[in-house]
Amino acid sequence: MLNIKDLEAKITLVKNTLDQDLSHNLSYLQLKTKYLGKHGLFKNISELITQLSPAEKPQAGQKLNQFKLELEKLISLKFTQPQPKNKVDYTVPGLQPKIAKLHPISQAIMEISQIFEKIGFVRVRYPEVDWDWYVFESLNMPPEHPARDEWETFFIDTPDTSQDVSYDEKNPRLRHPSLIGGKQVLTTHTSNGQVREMERVGSQPPIRMINISRCYRRQQDATHTQMFHQFEGLVIDKGINIQHLKGTLDYFAKEFYGPSVQSRIRPFHFRFTEPSFEVDFSCHICGGTGKIDNQKCKFCKSGWHEVGGAGMVHPNVLKAGGINPEEYTGFAFGWGVERTYTLKPGLSIDDIRLLYSSDLRFLTQF
Amino acid sequence: MNILIPHSWLLEQLETKATPKEIQKYLSLCGPSVENIILKEGENVYDIEVTTNRVDNMSVRGIAREAAVILSQFGLEAKLAKLDLSVGNINESKLPKIKILNNPKICKRVTYVILENIKQAPTPPWMIKRLKQIDQNVHSALIDITNYITHELGHPCHAFDYNKLIMSGGEIIITEAQKNEKFTTLDGEAFQTLGGEVVFKNRKGEIIDLPSIKGTLNTSVDEKTTNVLLLMESIVPKKVRYASMTHAIRTIAAQLMEKGVDPNLAPISMNKAIKLYQDLCQPDAVSPIYDDFPKPTKLPNIILDKATLKLYLGVELENKQVTQILTDLECLVTPKGQTQLIVTPPSFRSDLLAPVDLVEEIARIYGYHRLQSQLMSTALPLNPVKTQNFDLENKIKILLVHLGVQEFYTYSLVSEELAKQSDLPLLEHIKLQNPLSEDMVYLRRSLIPSLVDAKKQNPNQPDLEVFELANVYRPQKNDLPKEELMLGIVSGKNYRNLRGKIEVLFESLFIKNYQFLNHQTKSLATIVATAVDGQKITLGWIKVSQDNLILAQIAVSKLNKVAKTHPVYQRIAKTSPVIEDLTFGLNADTLVGEVINTIRSASKKIINVQLKTIYRNNLTFTITYLDKETNLTNLVIQPIREKIVKMIEDKKLAHLVGTLVSSKHD
Repeated sequence: MLNIKDLEAKITLVKNTLDQDLSHNLSYLQLKTKYLGKHGLFKNISELITQLSPAEKPQAGQKLNQFKLELEKLISLKFTQPQPKNKVDYTVPGLQPKIAKLHPISQAIMEISQIFEKIGFVRVRYPEVDWDWYVFESLNMPPEHPARDEWETFFIDTPDTSQDVSYDEKNPRLRHPSLIGGKQVLTTHTSNGQVREMERVGSQPPIRMINISRCYRRQQDATHTQMFHQFEGLVIDKGINIQHLKGTLDYFAKEFYGPSVQSRIRPFHFRFTEPSFEVDFSCHICGGTGKIDNQKCKFCKSGWHEVGGAGMVHPNVLKAGGINPEEYTGFAFGWGVERTYTLKPGLSIDDIRLLYSSDLRFLTQF
Repeated sequence: MNILIPHSWLLEQLETKATPKEIQKYLSLCGPSVENIILKEGENVYDIEVTTNRVDNMSVRGIAREAAVILSQFGLEAKLAKLDLSVGNINESKLPKIKILNNPKICKRVTYVILENIKQAPTPPWMIKRLKQIDQNVHSALIDITNYITHELGHPCHAFDYNKLIMSGGEIIITEAQKNEKFTTLDGEAFQTLGGEVVFKNRKGEIIDLPSIKGTLNTSVDEKTTNVLLLMESIVPKKVRYASMTHAIRTIAAQLMEKGVDPNLAPISMNKAIKLYQDLCQPDAVSPIYDDFPKPTKLPNIILDKATLKLYLGVELENKQVTQILTDLECLVTPKGQTQLIVTPPSFRSDLLAPVDLVEEIARIYGYHRLQSQLMSTALPLNPVKTQNFDLENKIKILLVHLGVQEFYTYSLVSEELAKQSDLPLLEHIKLQNPLSEDMVYLRRSLIPSLVDAKKQNPNQPDLEVFELANVYRPQKNDLPKEELMLGIVSGKNYRNLRGKIEVLFESLFIKNYQFLNHQTKSLATIVATAVDGQKITLGWIKVSQDNLILAQIAVSKLNKVAKTHPVYQRIAKTSPVIEDLTFGLNADTLVGEVINTIRSASKKIINVQLKTIYRNNLTFTITYLDKETNLTNLVIQPIREKIVKMIEDKKLAHLVGTLVSSKHD
């Protein structure tokens, strides 16, 4: 039978052996194998515990535990720190703690939110599954209107519960879902938030809304995913005009892309805005000139990038939200988060599907 | 919709010296967007995007009209060419008329002419070139003239074989089809009506045309045709769309007519068509033009307040300038008093109905680029959303990322297989009526299956930990689903590791009194915490899966109920704590949590119990004793130590390893 003193003696022996080995050039693997391996010195000693009396076993166990930790510590210490000399080697690489990354879409959303919150916008999030009324009808697109073709809509497999109440342009809230139910769809754009926001504030401007949410369209290719994110701005008050829209677009462009970037608006058409605009931002690569060294800039269209749509809120939409268009005007804009983000310098991603993949080689770059 | 306009063709309708680049630049700034100038058949061709409300721009002349107005604004000379409507000497055809029985409710105008004994000529080279430039097929002069005219002037027209019409009764009845009536289009495809489509029928009730959409085989022209009935009709747009969409026949004619082509364009188009047939197919005689237009277009009188214009633009424009722009756009403008204008738009601008429509016209021609740019200085809204806490969401994400958990974004729509893995029945998932692909059919009830799937895509990183903050969708009867924001985490490390991260997250959110409770029946732990008002709230759960992945899901709205933005300050004690270890050998069925809770409960002076090491079934706990008023002595602590051991051993949880050693603090 062994006693604890014997065990302690053996432990000391092994410690001395390690001391010597540490000053030689054994590799990490060699040290680990010799001391902590399956047939290592520690294993040999620890098996001796069975030869101790029951009274001494607990204490022996503790000592062995401590001993093992010490062995591990001494061995790894040798390999994680340079040998202390009088001179410190500053070229030794840092030990980076392991952290992970925020998803690029989260980063984009945080930045976009902050930019608009600085000028008094209120961040909101509205439903992804919404009534057809909020997604189309309240936005001046009557049932069966061809304008709806612009968006390939996903329909929910629930019946259209709206009773046979006919559409009446002069009475936009007649077919409100709270009165007659309706058809549920996956929203194709964050514009479903416009009338919802008007309702949230009891149809009482001022409104400065930034709605950021998931949207869905029945389309999938290198530049489209069935699910994507949009952000929608809405400003309504007395005397809001096109100059204010331009001011807001310029402000965003400079904050998001840089002080030299400009915005411009060109004629377009949406049912829910009048006038309607297409919004461009100047290309940061060619400085908006359309040319690099007399060659055509490949990244943009003649010096400009199309970002998305905008417009002055159509009077019918204001009415649908219970706001008097004779008293108030407003503007709105709605763009893709992914598209807006990938227009940043150095971020022209060729395949948008990567954003929703599990490819760490992509995600960890951000 | 896009339209291709060859520059040389445009110049037949537009008198200007402007270059293609100038035309592209200025049109795009103030009107339809010229997306590209393409070289086709050796010439410049504009690829123009026309918005759906401007069907009047879907022709060469329509674009020329826009260009004439816009180029002038930039000081470039530009004029819309006058139409040459002369038709030269024609013999009048004495062929019997085709009787038209119209229903004015569904067809606003019918115009036709009979061309007697046409020559079946090939399409001339100049027309072939143009058709190729606009990506249209080449057939024969007889057919191609109709497509050419449609593209040039914007009103579709159709050539019938006159003899076939005579043989089928010499009548065209314009009516709505019943259900299950048959027709075969001119390219041989057979259809059955749904009921309600506007069709042409003969007196036998057979369908002989799908007007404004496509011709039918039984009346279509072919190589044997000698007499042609050239017809233009104006079917009500809603009906055209209905028939076209129902049967998926999306011809150019359908796409134009469903957007409301101006019926007043018919006479000009008819004239030009006759002229072309004369030149290319030399009919022996041409009948007088038949025209049935019972209700001429009633044009609205829109009253535009100058104040409205100023309101939208933020600047006042001169009366003269405003009137000039509207007149250039072919509106009739009459001043009303000092502050108003009565504006009558031309018949081809059925999109101009309200004052705000006129504001758009004036503003775009004046030039949006000329308007100033300034932020609004109106009042800020002071009503943040109460149901969402975006700050909390950001805090959670940033902290988890710094703890080494990678953020993922996965799709809200999942396959049937992934939906089933949510532990909720498939029937209790919201389903799409028209999914695009099998992998996206159901709105998910849990983030975990998608995250497990995503983690599995990285098999060379077994230690990978991932999280996502996203909605899950709970169906509700007769209402929209409840969208609940969840934090889902999947870890390839181990239980203590992930639990530790969650605990750190809670500590950072100043959530006190959180607990991980073994679930009664399921193999998982429920995570609970106490709200500010003292209510106990279930935050979520954590479990170890069959594949040894650690899974957790927490409801963010519940976190929001217990999270705080700052702590309750604890006065710093003037006394020192006593920190020492006790080791226990746990019995087989003992839960570690119970041991810790028992130790804690032994005395109010125990402020912390940490699990330090595990060696087989021997667990060492580090216990911190503190009295805020007096420094603790061994005299005080020893009884507590003994009480701890007694409580543990009495409950048969474990036995002390070693002896109770007195602390050195005496």
